[in-house]
Amino acid sequence: MIELTINGKPVQAEDGATILKAAKANGIKIPNLCWDKRLRPYGGCRLCVVELEGQPRLFAACSTPVQAGMKVLTDTPKLKKARQTVLELLLVHHPLDCPTCDKAGECDLQDLAYEYGKPEGRFIRWRKDKPADVRGPLIELNSNRCILCGKCVRICAEHQGRGALGFMGRGFPTVVTPAFGEILECDYCGQCVDACPTGALVAKPYKYKARAWYLDEKDSICSYCGCGCTLTLGIREGKILRARGEEDKGVSDGNLCGRGRFGFDYVHDASRLKTPLVRKDGELVEATWDEAMKYAADALREVTAVGGAGSVGAIGSHRCTMEDNHMLRRFMTVLGSGNLDYSGAFGYGRAQMAWEQCFGGAPHKIDLKSPLGKKAILVVDSDITVTHPVFGLNIMQAGREGARIIASDFRETKLTRHSSNWLRNRPGTGIAIVNGMMKAIIDGGMFDKAAAEKIEGFGALAASLEDYTPEKVSAMTGVPAAGIAAAASEFAGADSRLIVMSLGSSDNTKSADLVLAVANLAVLLGDGPESVQIPAEYANTFGAWNAGIRPGDGGKSVFSMLYEPGAVNALIVMGEDPVSSFPDGGRILRALKSLDLLIVSAITMNETARMANVVFPATSWGEKDGTFVNAEGRAQRMLRVSEPTGMSMPDWQIIRNLSWAMDRETDIRSIEDIRKEMADDAAVAAEALPCRRFAPAMQPAIPADGNHVLLAIRDVLQHSGSMSTRSEALDLVVREAVLDIGEADAARLGVADNAHVKVTTVSQPHYSVYLKARISDELMDGVATTSMHFPSGRVNTLVGLAADGGASLGVVRIEAASG
Amino acid sequence: MEQYRAHLMICAGTGCVASGALKVRDALDVEIRKHGLENEIRVVLTGCNGFCAKGPIIAVHPGEIFYQVVKPEDVPLLVEEHFIKGRPVEKLMYKMPADKKAIPVMNEIPFFKHQVLRVLRNKGLIDPDSLEEYIARDGYQAAAKALIEMSQQEIIDTVKGSGIRGRGGAGFPTGLKWEFTSKSPADQKYLLCNGDEGDPGAFMDRSVMEADPHSVIEGMVIGSKAIGATKGYIYVRAEYPLAVERLRKAIKDANEAGLLGRNILDSGYDFELDVYLGAGAFVCGEETALMRSIEGQRGMPRPRPPFPAHKGLWDKPTVLNNVETFAQIAPIILNGADWYKSLGTEKSTGTKVFALTGAITNVGLVEVPMGIPLRTIIYDIGGGISKKGKKFKAVQMGGPSGGCIPEHLLDTPVDFDSINATGAIMGSGGMVVMDEDNCMVSLAKFFLGFTADESCGKCPPCRVGTRVMLDTLTDITEGRGKPGDVETLLDLCEDIKATSLCGLGQTAPNPVLTTIKYFREEYESHIHDKWCKTGVCRDLCSFEIDAAICTGCGVCARACPQKAITGEKKQPHKIIQELCIQCRTCYDRCKFGSIKIGPGLKFAKAAGASSDAQVGGASVVAGATSVGGGSK
Repeated sequence: MIELTINGKPVQAEDGATILKAAKANGIKIPNLCWDKRLRPYGGCRLCVVELEGQPRLFAACSTPVQAGMKVLTDTPKLKKARQTVLELLLVHHPLDCPTCDKAGECDLQDLAYEYGKPEGRFIRWRKDKPADVRGPLIELNSNRCILCGKCVRICAEHQGRGALGFMGRGFPTVVTPAFGEILECDYCGQCVDACPTGALVAKPYKYKARAWYLDEKDSICSYCGCGCTLTLGIREGKILRARGEEDKGVSDGNLCGRGRFGFDYVHDASRLKTPLVRKDGELVEATWDEAMKYAADALREVTAVGGAGSVGAIGSHRCTMEDNHMLRRFMTVLGSGNLDYSGAFGYGRAQMAWEQCFGGAPHKIDLKSPLGKKAILVVDSDITVTHPVFGLNIMQAGREGARIIASDFRETKLTRHSSNWLRNRPGTGIAIVNGMMKAIIDGGMFDKAAAEKIEGFGALAASLEDYTPEKVSAMTGVPAAGIAAAASEFAGADSRLIVMSLGSSDNTKSADLVLAVANLAVLLGDGPESVQIPAEYANTFGAWNAGIRPGDGGKSVFSMLYEPGAVNALIVMGEDPVSSFPDGGRILRALKSLDLLIVSAITMNETARMANVVFPATSWGEKDGTFVNAEGRAQRMLRVSEPTGMSMPDWQIIRNLSWAMDRETDIRSIEDIRKEMADDAAVAAEALPCRRFAPAMQPAIPADGNHVLLAIRDVLQHSGSMSTRSEALDLVVREAVLDIGEADAARLGVADNAHVKVTTVSQPHYSVYLKARISDELMDGVATTSMHFPSGRVNTLVGLAADGGASLGVVRIEAASG
Repeated sequence: MEQYRAHLMICAGTGCVASGALKVRDALDVEIRKHGLENEIRVVLTGCNGFCAKGPIIAVHPGEIFYQVVKPEDVPLLVEEHFIKGRPVEKLMYKMPADKKAIPVMNEIPFFKHQVLRVLRNKGLIDPDSLEEYIARDGYQAAAKALIEMSQQEIIDTVKGSGIRGRGGAGFPTGLKWEFTSKSPADQKYLLCNGDEGDPGAFMDRSVMEADPHSVIEGMVIGSKAIGATKGYIYVRAEYPLAVERLRKAIKDANEAGLLGRNILDSGYDFELDVYLGAGAFVCGEETALMRSIEGQRGMPRPRPPFPAHKGLWDKPTVLNNVETFAQIAPIILNGADWYKSLGTEKSTGTKVFALTGAITNVGLVEVPMGIPLRTIIYDIGGGISKKGKKFKAVQMGGPSGGCIPEHLLDTPVDFDSINATGAIMGSGGMVVMDEDNCMVSLAKFFLGFTADESCGKCPPCRVGTRVMLDTLTDITEGRGKPGDVETLLDLCEDIKATSLCGLGQTAPNPVLTTIKYFREEYESHIHDKWCKTGVCRDLCSFEIDAAICTGCGVCARACPQKAITGEKKQPHKIIQELCIQCRTCYDRCKFGSIKIGPGLKFAKAAGASSDAQVGGASVVAGATSVGGGSK
């Protein structure tokens, strides 16, 4: 620690801290417009100038490091005058269109001008009046208001790793613009909008929606991925108008991705269900809650009367709160059925079960900050910056701070671009990569042999790796042998390591065995479970699994209930749309058709609800209180900030009322009752003992067909599951499933850019979908990718169910669509 | 090596090439061959001789005979007389302005007599493309000494002891900079040479790079060992194609000769050197911006600290020195610190190269010991004001970052601190001389126009500040100046100096500050009297012929592009004011001084009225339209 004084007050600061940081930590405000703690000091706005006693010149507090004994003055007449002049200059050509600017009321420039500004300007001035660039889908650039602090440019390039904005021109005519003044095409994370100290960057969906001073701001937790970012929601008249990230808040610490920032508007989508629906004469018709509840309860009673409680199944949801899921489990318990499961079975659950083989039964929590400070990070076949964007930011930051990032992926992604070693492997060959690395580590003696040999399964592991010589792995994966050897020695030789991968319901290039492989690698190098990070997929995926949304004793899993016609006779689906979102949608459709009763609670009419006998309108995120547990295992409360839509009701209330309608008492009256039960459950849960074992995994054969291409499913950055497709804002960026195909394949198959193609699975030729094709230079030959988000795309019918319960990788035929 | 009877050193600096040096060379080749003298007389193209005003230039060795303004048609006579008959040609020699006496020997010409050549030690003596010729003039001896005999600390101590300060402008002690960086631990360090000479009117660095590229490379080799750098770049603007070509050739030759690259001279030291082409932004001469430019980023300065000695190019410890600084290093190592200190003043040792230009007789490149009075440079070396009868007014030193020094300070010794005390700066060594016909407000406006144009745009004081200063100066020169403008400018200048991020902004107000300091009455006269007494600001002057002086020679009438001057031969002429566009041609042409400059006529009527009435530009914009009244 360093001792110095600021304005005569003795303060302490960390070695290497800047004056601004030291002042901030001690509650001393120094005005600034270009500083952001996520970025390296820029020193551009000149407002943070301070005086140092004994020095004639002024120093920028944002970039001057503290020194012992330094005497800093932050508020003197000299500084006031300097700041006044700088602000006066900034306003010389500013349009001063505050009355029509969305930023007014929360504008840093406005606030500082108010604090320091002079009433009169001394210089000839004219307003800049270039037309605003409104061409992009979500972000508007108004260069007239821009003060060229460069925060947007830097947050995009330095922090997001995107670099979609830049300075063009020099001196006074400089403007911030996308390259060549083209339409802004970027991640649409909107971080630049939050960072902008003026109204130069505006989120279009929020434009002219509310004056800042009329906005009510409340914090909540994002409903999309497992990161669990804190959204500061701007609400007016019961409607969410915007979301932003606020520094020092939540796990995201002010960062948000585009889904979090722009994707909340599904809550107010016109397609939201407003009343219960019951099927009468083959049609779903509006009903009262009483009618619908009675209908459902009667029908359920009928089913159980015939087939017993075991003929009823239930599907919970990662989108629903802990409370909702707990209520569903309690209901099934009192009903007497163990047939309970949820989407986690395709992703997180698979990972957890594989994980347990190596590290024991503790729930696999990640740590969003784990990448920071690591020397080497191995990312296997996963684009974390897409699936878990804010976690991805920490990987990128680690890379900027010196970590070597080794990334295996068939596709060029932001992570591979920022990696130090990109192992470009064929889809589905991650196990071979990891096994090859292990083989090289063992053969090269790059590990603590004595320690590893003591660990259970070492012999089996070593034996299993026999065939993973660099040459053979190279043949399997397409990665040069030297690249794998380099990755192995670099990774094994690093002082600190981290392995990151994702495993989700739509990922068809990975299997649970890959989890084994990476766990083996960690154990081999003497690293603990914390060195493997596999984030749970969605907002409450982790929570639902650990709340016991799993088959009970003798209960049926999702693989049985949804894929085997006749496995159950009645199914309750809460907050989920299996027909659109789960792999092999065609089989699910057949299974659902075989049901006697399908009860669905949903926020909007979806493909599953269309088949239901009863549909309950559920309140969505933002309209109800509840708890999400993020991938870190962190329980976070989200608030009801918006009025419920129509007659909708929280899922837990729907299920509670259903239990009442069936006269099955759960002792749950209120949400507090649920929380008390959850607390009791948590208290008795036994803490699993950690262990370390090797569990060899072998690279399976990858389907190959010289005439056709592999279809890899990849999430789109702007979407998460199918819920985000209800967001008008996100749909403005990506509104349909697109088939990405490499240049060579496109030429070979006669596919034109932006033309429609027919995609047919080779193994199940009766499934075809029509997609728009996009020729991409990010793909290798023989692979096409698309996403599973869009119900209209029906892409999930192309994907089979793999043996381990995930989505399977298959070969598809691609033909130019005729007519 | 073949022996020749005589060497003809033709200056092939950019100036002389422009005035036809290569054609003279071709003519010489033909003529020499015609007389069969090709084995006796060797023609060499050298770098800049320095006496650019008199190009094309040929120096003949032995004898050091200096020929000036040589035209191809002079060549037969020259060869015939000098090389066959042995009689130097007086017609082509320098003549003393006073008595027209020819001075045959170069070093007896006043322009050369007062100079001491250290940086320019090889000027006009070697072929810049020849490594051998550089070596023949003790080249790379210092590098060998430094790499083989001296320790890192000994090199630093010698350079520190010499007292040499950076020649780029700020004058930071070079040895100290090297020492800081040598002590900064890192796996990689860089040594950079700043050849991004951008001041209008400065061409010292270009000449050094063109005339003696190896002297820069040798200095860098020595510096690389001193700081522990194994990689270096010479950053040269692409507008200096000849310098780039010569440097590239020199680097290639040095690499091939083992004087650069891996294991230099078997010493175990490596130094890899490349030329990096800048795109010509003035701000890229600022060290942190230059480093960003090499990194492939936008050339914008970064705040310091961290200083380049700790985090420079690619965040590695880096030293950046000017071309001229590096060119001084080899002699310092070879001859020692005391030798270097023997010239100059206590705090500014050694010599400094200046580019003399403007209203001066001997435009060119000069190297003088530090501490010599400005007057010596301007009058003894520079030959005084070029235009007959005109008086010296000021000299602008340090380009757009510098300031002007008026007549009464001409005895200021030329050293870093004395020049700073005047409000100007040493800068990289540009000296633009102005005579009494120069308008100082226009001068300030010119430099502000330059800095406003070259500002990178990163910080508001520079980006907007230079712009509003330029706007204000434009208003003053176009008759819209208003009382209080000077005070506003002074106030703004102080804030811009105090708050700007980098040297460009911090020094941009200097031309305004010094012109106000020394020539405030000119500003006042522009603002209050609407009268530019030099006749430069067209809106603020009018021309009249003094009938008492006019001889009626008619020169002005013939020159007037507007045909605005009438008069009978040998009778006093008259200017028709309605036609006059204040181009000042008549004033410049009249040999008798009969043209008088009066205040701007369009303001004459309003002169007595409230001055606010005319200054439309001062009104604050009220509407939403883009352009207010005041500016263009």
